Amino acid sequence: MSRASKRAHVARILVPWLLLTVCVWPLAAQQLVLPTARDSVKFAAIGDNGTGDRPQYEIAELMAQAHERFPFDRVIMLGDNIYGGQGPSDLVKKFSQPYKALLDAGVKFFASIGNHDDPANVKYPLWNMGGQRYYTFATKNVRFFALDSNRVDQRELAWLESALKDAQEDWKICYFHHPLYSDGGRHGSSVDVRVLFEPLFIKYGVNVVFSGHDHIYERITPQKGIYYFVEGASGELRKGNTRPSAMTAKFFDQDQSFMLVEIDGNTLSFQATSRTGAVVDSGTVKRQGQP
Amino acid sequence: MSVRKRMSGLIVDYLVALPLGCVVALVWANTLDESYYRFAHAAAFAVNDIGMVFFFALITKEVAEATIRGGALHPWRRAAMPVAAAVGGVAVSVAFYLAFVHYIGEYMLEDGWVVACAVDIPGSYVIARMIFGRHPAVPFLLLLAISADAIGLACVAVLQPIGQPHSMLGLLLMAGAIVGAFVLRRSATKNFWWYLLGPGVLSWWGLYIAGVHPALALVPIVPFFPHGLRDEGLFEEPAPKAHDTLTLFERWWRLPVEVILFFFGLVNAGVPLHGLEAGSWGLPVAALGRPIGIVAAVGIASLAGLHLPARVGWRHVVVVGAIASIGLIFALFFATAVMAPGTLLLELRLGALLTVFGGVFAVIAARILCVGRFAR
Repeated sequence: MSRASKRAHVARILVPWLLLTVCVWPLAAQQLVLPTARDSVKFAAIGDNGTGDRPQYEIAELMAQAHERFPFDRVIMLGDNIYGGQGPSDLVKKFSQPYKALLDAGVKFFASIGNHDDPANVKYPLWNMGGQRYYTFATKNVRFFALDSNRVDQRELAWLESALKDAQEDWKICYFHHPLYSDGGRHGSSVDVRVLFEPLFIKYGVNVVFSGHDHIYERITPQKGIYYFVEGASGELRKGNTRPSAMTAKFFDQDQSFMLVEIDGNTLSFQATSRTGAVVDSGTVKRQGQP
Repeated sequence: MSVRKRMSGLIVDYLVALPLGCVVALVWANTLDESYYRFAHAAAFAVNDIGMVFFFALITKEVAEATIRGGALHPWRRAAMPVAAAVGGVAVSVAFYLAFVHYIGEYMLEDGWVVACAVDIPGSYVIARMIFGRHPAVPFLLLLAISADAIGLACVAVLQPIGQPHSMLGLLLMAGAIVGAFVLRRSATKNFWWYLLGPGVLSWWGLYIAGVHPALALVPIVPFFPHGLRDEGLFEEPAPKAHDTLTLFERWWRLPVEVILFFFGLVNAGVPLHGLEAGSWGLPVAALGRPIGIVAAVGIASLAGLHLPARVGWRHVVVVGAIASIGLIFALFFATAVMAPGTLLLELRLGALLTVFGGVFAVIAARILCVGRFAR
């Protein structure tokens, strides 16, 4: 065999391998550490995502890949779902196009609104808000409460109290845009909203709270018995903006990220995944009051 | 005569009590934030919806007196040019505000456009007196400020009702209150407590259930109070021998309103000085549009045949426009009236506080244009 034909032979073997590696790498690189139990509740959480820029698309791509191995059926959106223009073309570019694979797979998105969202978009059908600023929905033993933290009037508080009181599910999960606890350097904790929501959360046994607004990922140590997560970096990012404090359990502010969550019985498992597919935080929490 | 004696008690109190409340609120909110917000939310109704009734009553008293002989609003046609100026100022301010919040993508703040109408009546009066002394530009400014706030209050009442209003019942109660005040006036009732406890309470209730801010409850009632034969001038201390109902009302309520103003500042001015969005700049940007709108409206009104008061020229109008950019107490009130608690309200409140720098802006403008005390 001549030297040239030897080279051609090696190339014939290497090129397919290289191509295969390049194509499969992101899928293989994305770690998944959740139990993926058969009958568990599975969902994803994204916040401050609607930029329409490349990082949002890359996170969306990772979510679609994760969905193949972790078949979550819903995504909760933590506000600032669309930045800038809010017209029909923006809704395509910044929402339905990046998340097309998930939407095509039947995944439902349930939005809460942030300060950059157009209030009229509560009627956008793909966000499943039913035209309301705040609403509730349930699946199996989990009830979700999507709230409006931009302006918390007495009607919303009365509605929330009644909805929490009536909830029969084991898990109560609230989500909204402004974090009650955050070590984000740009905004930090929304204390004015905390004094309105938190007494109800405590009184009616809310288990977990998800928020966005600060463009970082952060897990907070339980506050008054409630688990808090900040996921505001699914499109926007404020690199290095976390100011860790005593309440910081874990944070990641070097790249965009999203969360995957699984609830099986009295156990909630979570992972935060970065834009490279690496798991930057994961863990398990028990439902409060359960052994 | 000293400044203290010339200016009414309301103005002097305003200069002390409100800023003190604002400073305490800012320090408290930025040090012990959770306890501050707990207090502010708990006290908001008592202060904003009940206490402020009497502040607006005293402002209405000044306006009501200005309509009698010798007053700045007597006869009414003197107010035509300031009203035109106010309309222009409000229109351009609101346009600037909406353009800005749209530009920065804070669409949620668009609902706060009414706040851009606000002109701080006592605050702008103080700055105007400082710059102009007793120049006719001062009543011109006051009429402009009253008109701008009246537009804002009308918008708050009609366009942005609170809660689930029961308009018809509210309207009936309001009508009852006004008829009651009229009957008291016709029967020559001089004791102001009858007006407050009868028509005043009815009016508050009517506004409350109609979804209109109840702090305005005494605005339609105070004009029925028996008054003196002559006005001493807007925000001028009443004569010591005056014993008409309006004057007695002012004397009795001056001290309570001082306390109310302190608490109004305390409850509404506590905002975090970091971490808020760019939307906080919406109101200062709107304030920049105020002089432009006022100058443009005065120009158009002049072409339509209206006249500026004697000794008030274009340079004065520019400075008046700059003074009218101060929104402070009225902006804080409007913000509370149109926006429920939350981050958006904090942004509006910080913006309202920042408009206080309109006073500095006005002094610089007066200096550059050589008007008032800066005239060569």
